[in-house]
Amino acid sequence: MMKLSRLRRYFMLGIVILFLLQFVRIKILVGGLSGSVAVWFVKLLDIFAYTESIAASRDFTLTALLAMLPVLGIYLIFGRAFCGWICPMDFLFEQTGKLRRHHGRISIPPAAGYILSVSFIIASGLLGIPVFTNYVSHLTNFFRFITAGVSFGLKFPVESSVIVYSGSVIAGLLILELLSPRLWCRSLCPVGRVYGLLNKVSLLRLGFTEGTCGECNLCDQQCYMGVKIARNIDQPSLRDSNCIYCGRCVEGCDTKGKIVKIKFWR
Amino acid sequence: MSVKRRDFLQLALISGAAVSGLVMRPSLSVYAEDDADGGPLPGIEIGGIIRPPGALPEKKFRAKCISCGVCVNVCHVMKYDAIAVAGIRDIRNFGTPYVKDMRDFPCTLCMECPKQCPTGALNNVEKEKVQMGMALIDLSLCFGWNGDVCLSCSKACPLGGKVFDFFNGEWGNQPYINENCVGCGLCVKYCPLGGSAIKVVTRRQYDIVKPSYVADFRKILDMQREERYSIVYGQNLPQIMAKGRLVEREYR
Repeated sequence: MMKLSRLRRYFMLGIVILFLLQFVRIKILVGGLSGSVAVWFVKLLDIFAYTESIAASRDFTLTALLAMLPVLGIYLIFGRAFCGWICPMDFLFEQTGKLRRHHGRISIPPAAGYILSVSFIIASGLLGIPVFTNYVSHLTNFFRFITAGVSFGLKFPVESSVIVYSGSVIAGLLILELLSPRLWCRSLCPVGRVYGLLNKVSLLRLGFTEGTCGECNLCDQQCYMGVKIARNIDQPSLRDSNCIYCGRCVEGCDTKGKIVKIKFWR
Repeated sequence: MSVKRRDFLQLALISGAAVSGLVMRPSLSVYAEDDADGGPLPGIEIGGIIRPPGALPEKKFRAKCISCGVCVNVCHVMKYDAIAVAGIRDIRNFGTPYVKDMRDFPCTLCMECPKQCPTGALNNVEKEKVQMGMALIDLSLCFGWNGDVCLSCSKACPLGGKVFDFFNGEWGNQPYINENCVGCGLCVKYCPLGGSAIKVVTRRQYDIVKPSYVADFRKILDMQREERYSIVYGQNLPQIMAKGRLVEREYR
């Protein structure tokens, strides 16, 4: 069986390719990861983007709700798997991380991330613009950068400041990654906070089976999201809001996945 | 190959500075309409940005739109490529879609973008009820108003007879765009005059300029024969001839 850590890379690449196919006019996934249309029929809308949009407009739209519900449904099942399996930034961060020479890890208290998310929503409400999704979001900027770049290359109408801005946001996040591994994902990203909350009730979760743990702490070392696995090993399952189901702890475990497992349903 | 951290940070710093320099430069729009004489109706500003069809009123639209890029890419998939993303100079509208270059990439009212918009910022309305803007003909540049037969705009218009009024007279079949216009801009593209004789302005701007524009139009219709003759031959035709040289353009 293919290793999870490899499989998820192929999965992410597949999703990004499906999005890139829109530039050769194949309409399987059109848009970006903040909002998109699947197979020209199912509208999808990121949950945090929806919240911001609601806060900014103070108005309810059925279209937006119907677009948000499928996404909510998917991640009620799969929890924060979005971050490990779909988000292209995870791959970019991993590649950038190879340039990092130190192993320092900056920790921000988890509450700070939630305060940041809530303040983005409040700011959206005050300014009447979805602030995070429009200006800061790595998802919006990643796909906006590609779309604007392609339009620029094909000489379609585009403003080059869009390319420059979106490119610099992505570059800024990559520089942040050089300071500390996954600081953005672990503590700041509001999209991740929302999916992290869904982790608490999702069907997919980290589970442990009875067995003799050697207490080697390899799982904790392998986890770049900073989930503390070893100390919870006596519990039936672990619902940490930072777990992205990358499978590194499962593979890193010296018992080769006998103790730490990714559990689904039961 | 190993990149030293200091080198990398230095590189990042330099590229960051270069990037911010580019952002600061105000005129970075590469494909802006670059007419030497300012195009049709130089006295009337566009008065804002022209949204894709079915857009909510400006303030609501800004609040709803999350800049996901569905409309931009839908427009590309439909092979029209009319919708661009607003740049950083207009910070409030940054990231929101608009129809940028009607001379080459007008909206064709295919109405796919409002159907696919996931946020509800674009609403699926009937073609006739779209209010993107209002097309105004520069009567001093239009062939039809200066003794020629053209009618390209009315043939290009997706709403045709509903939008165009014709004033038949000794100067020909003079076209006039009435208030049923939705502002898609197809007429702008297919106007054969160099730089186009038609300009699409926002509805708000139209409400402001309407009295003077309609007065001008009435004045020309009611004009005495000799006076009109001298204006057409003295002022308008030389202008048209000068612009005509710009006609050799490639339609995209």
